[in-house]
Amino acid sequence: MRFIVLIKQVPDTAEVNVDPATGHLVREGVSSILNPEDRHALEAALQCAGQGDQVVAMTMGPTQAVDVLSEALGMGAHRGVLLSDRFFAGADTWATSYTLGKAIEHLGPFDLVLCGRQAIDGDTAQIGPQVAEHLGIPQVTYVTALRIEDGRVRATRDLGGTLEEVEAPLPALVTVLASCNRPRYPELRKLLAACEARAPIQLLDAADIGVMADHSGLRGSYTRVVKTFAPKVGRETTVIEGSATEMAGRLVAALREKNVL
Amino acid sequence: MVTDIRSDKETLLRQTIARFVKEEVLPVAQTIDESGEFPRELFRKAAEMGLFRVRYPAKKGGAGGNNTLFCILCEELAKGLMSLGAITAMQCLMGSEFLFRFGTEEQRRKYWEPNMRGERVSGFCLTEPDAGSDLGNVRTMALEQPDGSWIVNGLKTWVTLGAVADHFTVLCQTRADRKMRGLNFFLIERTRPGVALSHKFAVLGTRNTQIAELSLTDVALPPEALIGEKGRGLPNLLSILAEIRTMTAALALGLSKAAYEASFQYARERVAFGRSINQYQLIQAKIAIMATEIWAAELMLYKTTAMIDARKPCMREATMVKYFATEVACKCADEATRILGAYAYSMDYPVQRFYRDNRFLLYGGGSHEVLMGVIARELGFV
Repeated sequence: MRFIVLIKQVPDTAEVNVDPATGHLVREGVSSILNPEDRHALEAALQCAGQGDQVVAMTMGPTQAVDVLSEALGMGAHRGVLLSDRFFAGADTWATSYTLGKAIEHLGPFDLVLCGRQAIDGDTAQIGPQVAEHLGIPQVTYVTALRIEDGRVRATRDLGGTLEEVEAPLPALVTVLASCNRPRYPELRKLLAACEARAPIQLLDAADIGVMADHSGLRGSYTRVVKTFAPKVGRETTVIEGSATEMAGRLVAALREKNVL
Repeated sequence: MVTDIRSDKETLLRQTIARFVKEEVLPVAQTIDESGEFPRELFRKAAEMGLFRVRYPAKKGGAGGNNTLFCILCEELAKGLMSLGAITAMQCLMGSEFLFRFGTEEQRRKYWEPNMRGERVSGFCLTEPDAGSDLGNVRTMALEQPDGSWIVNGLKTWVTLGAVADHFTVLCQTRADRKMRGLNFFLIERTRPGVALSHKFAVLGTRNTQIAELSLTDVALPPEALIGEKGRGLPNLLSILAEIRTMTAALALGLSKAAYEASFQYARERVAFGRSINQYQLIQAKIAIMATEIWAAELMLYKTTAMIDARKPCMREATMVKYFATEVACKCADEATRILGAYAYSMDYPVQRFYRDNRFLLYGGGSHEVLMGVIARELGFV
């Protein structure tokens, strides 16, 4: 079986501030990381993969995005694919998912595409579903558990308090939540090997995957970011309910989400 | 069009270990320190990531790293918990290097490989009550028997991991005239009859390093317990001395950065007389000096590790950076206790740990009083 995991390099939003004067993100000195939910997607693929199966990590971005592929190889992915081309720059989710879809088709037959629910820099949660649409395959989103059985993917979806068991024929695409698993850390030997010239990391550009310039990047995007600003939020009240233990847990989770803890 | 792009090993390793420290070490650092126990779970996780293999060649079962990467690993771990950094350094270097480089295939299979997998904890015994830097005074005697076996008697002290290690690389004297060429290393398992834990030290800092004294009484060793060629103990030891010193400097650098970051963050939050204390020039001076000296230590350290990796002689530089980085660590920890005030005096916050742990670095790899003489000699001054 071949698993393709879509991963993204994102700024570590725990370190990002908003310039109050311009409303722009201050990214200077901010480190780049592998999008956290994508790490869970990779772990899910590695757990599903058996002997002889192949896990391919794929990302689109500038050349420095190779770091997330190296990390993926360190975790156990067999191969990395970096989609990098100046024509890809400025892509919205439509152009990005179109490009990713073309790249997946370029690689040949596959069984399951996995990605995190959303990236912490954009929070759109659109890439996974859109890639599935481009490829014309079933999609299962918000997955907290999955397994492959009899040529089908069986997954548990978290619909915000309600769990749903679903199955879909392969090939399919799933987007996973952080609760799906506990990702392993990269193994040092594999991580360092991923930095060597002979590492199985492939660089593909628009011509390689047959993407027209008009369909990718800013030119292929249907949306434009007109303005970025920090909304002025007044006091926001959140009511936490449940038992004392549950409330404490939710409070801690909420504070962690805000990077207070 | 770029066709060959690869990640930078040093950056990637640093980021990976920093994340490991943030997620796995920092949440438990205080509890582990207070327990005084060997951090077995963190040790297991470090082994699972293959961290102990960092400085060994990939073709021989290592991770394919070098001394620079080893020092980055030590630095990042020490930022989170000095004990973990010190334990990892022991497992990677002093506890394994002699077996790997000078040992037989059988010794590598039986001891080095389990060290790398974290299945066995390894220790290193050099210091004695009357011998440390003064190696000519080593009194632990290994007497060769007619059949080639050995009988060892002696006392080893200040053994890092002495209370928990499964086996030890032990420096012994093998000649009655105690000439330097009589110094040899032996692999001694804890379970050998005659090996006893004679004292476990209660220590000021690095409480999890299980520092102890070991007595060796009529310990019978087979001929194959000798590590390396007979008579090569001292040169073999000297061959990794620069690495021991840069490793110590790396631990010091990690501690310095931890103290600096705690100070930096606190000074921006703490308000006194209507403004945060980072607005006061005396606090600004402390932060500026800490940052400057940390930078200097970092430059010195990685310049020296690059020399080691390039196999250039650098005993002078390694000694200098061990001394300098450790003094910077002591100073940064001290300044942090002043910036954080009473919060550094409380055992509830980590700064007190930085203040205690830095003392560990003063003695390992040579006391500074001895090292000053080494540097002077290396300069050709005496």
